[in-house]
Amino acid sequence: MAETVFAPWNDDSATPLIQFKNVTKRFGDFVAIDNLTQDIYAQEFFALLGPSGCGKTTMMRMLAGFETPTEGQILIAGQDMAGVPPNKRAVNMMFQSYALFPHLTVAENIAFGLKREGKPKPEIDARVDEMLRLTRLEKFGKRKPHQISGGQRQRVALARSLAKAPKLLLLDEPLGALDKKLRQETQFELMDIQEKTGTTFVIVTHDQEEAMTVASRVAVMDEGRIIQVSTPADIYERPNSVYVADFIGDVNIINGHATRAGDGYDIAYAEGAAKLHAKTSTDLGNEGKCALAIRPEKVSITAKKPAKSVNAVSGKIIDIAYLGNLSTYHVELEGGQMIKAQTANTRRLARRTFTWEDDVWLSWTDTAAIVLEG
Amino acid sequence: MRRFSLIAVPYFWLLVLFLVPFIIVFKISLSDTALAIPPYTPTLDVSTGWEGIRNFFAQLDWENFTFLTTDDLYWKAYLSSFRIAAISTLLTLLIGYPIAYAMAQSPDEWRPTLMMLVILPFWTSFLIRVYSWMGILSNEGFLNQFLLWTGLISEPLQILNTNKAVYIGIIYTYLPFMILPIYSALEKLDASLLEAAEDLGCSRITAFWLVTIPLSKQGIIAGSFLVFIPALGEFVIPSLLGGSKTLMIGKVLWEEFFSNRDWPVASAVAVILLLILIIPIVLFQRNEQKQREAEGQ
Amino acid sequence: MKFRLLSAAATLALVAGMAQAEEVRVYNWSDYIDEGLLAKFEEETGLKLIYDVFDSNEVLETKMLAGGSGYDVVVPSGTFLQRQITAGAFQKLDMSKLSNHGNMWDAIEARTAKYDPDNAHSINYMWGTTGIGINVGKVKEALGDDAPIGSLALVFDPANMEKLAACGVHILDAPAEIIPAALAYIGEDPDSHDPEVIAKVEPILTAIAPHVQKFHSSEYINALANGDICVAIGWSGDILQARDRAAEAENGVEIAYNAPSEGALMWFDQMAIPVDAPNPEAAHKFLNFIMEAGNMAAASNYVYYANGNLASQPMLAEDVIGDPAIYPNEETLKNLYTTTPYPVKVQRTVTRLWTKIKSGI
Repeated sequence: MAETVFAPWNDDSATPLIQFKNVTKRFGDFVAIDNLTQDIYAQEFFALLGPSGCGKTTMMRMLAGFETPTEGQILIAGQDMAGVPPNKRAVNMMFQSYALFPHLTVAENIAFGLKREGKPKPEIDARVDEMLRLTRLEKFGKRKPHQISGGQRQRVALARSLAKAPKLLLLDEPLGALDKKLRQETQFELMDIQEKTGTTFVIVTHDQEEAMTVASRVAVMDEGRIIQVSTPADIYERPNSVYVADFIGDVNIINGHATRAGDGYDIAYAEGAAKLHAKTSTDLGNEGKCALAIRPEKVSITAKKPAKSVNAVSGKIIDIAYLGNLSTYHVELEGGQMIKAQTANTRRLARRTFTWEDDVWLSWTDTAAIVLEG
Repeated sequence: MRRFSLIAVPYFWLLVLFLVPFIIVFKISLSDTALAIPPYTPTLDVSTGWEGIRNFFAQLDWENFTFLTTDDLYWKAYLSSFRIAAISTLLTLLIGYPIAYAMAQSPDEWRPTLMMLVILPFWTSFLIRVYSWMGILSNEGFLNQFLLWTGLISEPLQILNTNKAVYIGIIYTYLPFMILPIYSALEKLDASLLEAAEDLGCSRITAFWLVTIPLSKQGIIAGSFLVFIPALGEFVIPSLLGGSKTLMIGKVLWEEFFSNRDWPVASAVAVILLLILIIPIVLFQRNEQKQREAEGQ
Repeated sequence: MKFRLLSAAATLALVAGMAQAEEVRVYNWSDYIDEGLLAKFEEETGLKLIYDVFDSNEVLETKMLAGGSGYDVVVPSGTFLQRQITAGAFQKLDMSKLSNHGNMWDAIEARTAKYDPDNAHSINYMWGTTGIGINVGKVKEALGDDAPIGSLALVFDPANMEKLAACGVHILDAPAEIIPAALAYIGEDPDSHDPEVIAKVEPILTAIAPHVQKFHSSEYINALANGDICVAIGWSGDILQARDRAAEAENGVEIAYNAPSEGALMWFDQMAIPVDAPNPEAAHKFLNFIMEAGNMAAASNYVYYANGNLASQPMLAEDVIGDPAIYPNEETLKNLYTTTPYPVKVQRTVTRLWTKIKSGI
């Protein structure tokens, strides 16, 4: 392989840019961050993903210097950040509200941080022009923030936070205020800019799709802890818990009892129903409670029982969600368990095979399902 | 029609409470003083028809306005009022801003109480509050007694009946008018703007100068006008708290009206005061307009 | 039905008319009557008395000249009364309704006739002098035991004023009273209307003005009583009130009043009925009530001012009739002078001079 994969977290010799060392943050009785240890490497695009209140914003604000850890240490480039105020950190933040100064023009907003450094004016002007170009805002430099669109404001905020060429850029829900289409476009723009500038990005988001799209690694958080850190593909394909599996994308969870069988487990999930089989490296011992996570797109739907499939169950279509490119079938198994199956709509609507109340077979391979601790 | 009636209400208000009284005062300013009821001439006598009306207008002249230019008392009084009003406004701003700032920074649940405390003095008559300052500031008053007791001074301070007392009175009376607009500007201020400023390299203090102050500018301007405009024509405070040397146009006006019984000259003084005030009032209106436009966007 | 409606309207009108007839509105100086008299008047006449107060002739005069004040009885001072009579503000009294008019003191009437010829429009309520009130202890402390407390030199001599400034001096904010006093001090006619003569007081008053804490016409009562100031040129009764307040407060402040030896202004507060009084009938009843010897005596005993009612004198308290500060003896009486109103042009000069003295501009 000629091309090296960007994965410093797998390289023992790489030194992390950011180190959280047993960091705990309490607000009164509330534990926002619970004894958290995590490394983030230079040039990473690191996403903190989780529901509101999970502690992701607190982590970011501690990096920016707006909050101080109650216990533990945060290091940036090896330097302990304790007692370093926000204005003395080589870290810039793009705020969720953008926090553009309404009394300053777009260009003045971008120049704001540069002026504080006391740089000569021509240098500042050149840098502002560069930033305006980078974010395609050349025409809007003289406008006030209230005179431009939401998407343009987002780009001004980005340009302003990048203007000082920080080592680390923090993005707090950067795309939250944009509509979906614009959001998708902007996601790629963000990645592009991140790549061009080589800046380390830490993004906070509650939108799993956004995290999956932009990030090199995603940290899924819950109640002040990081549940899983991995690449987007790993998070999706190999979640380490029901929480992560459920949080990322759509998933069917089947609870049951596992008994070791071959290189995996046989899972009994309903009385009288045939056991399911899944290959896995997860070790549950010889037997134990388990949860089976199967992505809907990995479930095939057929009218007749497939001949070869290891796992096949029958049921009745209760609901069909037509999403244009995809259709999701909600199928009720005999025991009452609901399973979602997704198919790509490669054919026109009129020739769709299944409809409500049809009896169908669902099937998946023995590697499609992930065995998790129940 | 509905639109028309909506606009008509404020215009009617303006007409009845501003324009009509102004026309009456303006008319008196063109009259001559007389020992009669009312004490000026001519008065409009409609009973003699057109002849009477023509006569009436023929007798009006600008004499009283030219008279005001013959004595330097008047422009000195205008100037002195302007200075006292300007200094008071500045001092009120310096005191009011930190109060408004502290209010805006205080926890949400405190704010209604703090707001209440600012408005509370209005529940007592203005006159009573000014009188109570006489009790506080007089030679044997609370302030002097307290300072003598603490040993900070050995002789009572002469504050009452000096300009110092006038400044104290104006600042005290108009402070809420400064605090409230600034507070409402600061309350709207997004805290993340200050964090952004800090994030971009500002210390807390520079962030205050570069972000908080410019963004509360509208409140500062509104508050300053709300203090300056009434302070310029203030009469009660200088006459109760000020000394004989406190020269303000309100007092000159009073003297023309009551001591000289010269309603026409008093009216001329009032007309000019109004013309002087129109400039800041128009500026104030434009500021409000600008603010509305900015918020409308 | 129609009839009943009419009668209802008639009843209403009658009731309204009666309510009108029952009221009498009096506008007098503040702190200028024994309030017991007000209740007594209502009791005796069955009229409802509405009693308002003012504290400056100028305010009263403005109301009179604007017209339609709604008052039935008002109490201007002599010079103001004279001007307002000229302006046509007052009606002639109907002597047939004033049975107590015989109680009036001819010595006072002779003087008030100067303002109101034949006393046709007014009766005298109170009169007094304008003189000097002092805080005895503080003045002696500042100027020694031989301080000229009975002379205008106490305030018009800058040497004295310099020493008194620290303890506080108030002067009436009334040019029509202070300019005559200053004229008397330099031996000129206090009632001079000659602008050149009046101009002579400027250097005297300008020299002392910086040492005057305040030119004001009512604050000195409290200020003297509290010990905030040590000297005031003011009205006799007001200073005596300050004396009593200080005595009541037992704050160690001793106040004394003197009519200056150079001559003192004698002034008169006259009760009159505005030309547009809503209820002149009741107004006459009020005047007649006031002229009752017992009532007038009660008023004087309360406010410490002399009155123009001869018949009331036997009923006056000893500390009123016997106090030469209130009822001057023959010798002092000769030394009192009266003034007449300034013509319009002179009035402007006087006001302007006064402003210049007070503010230096």
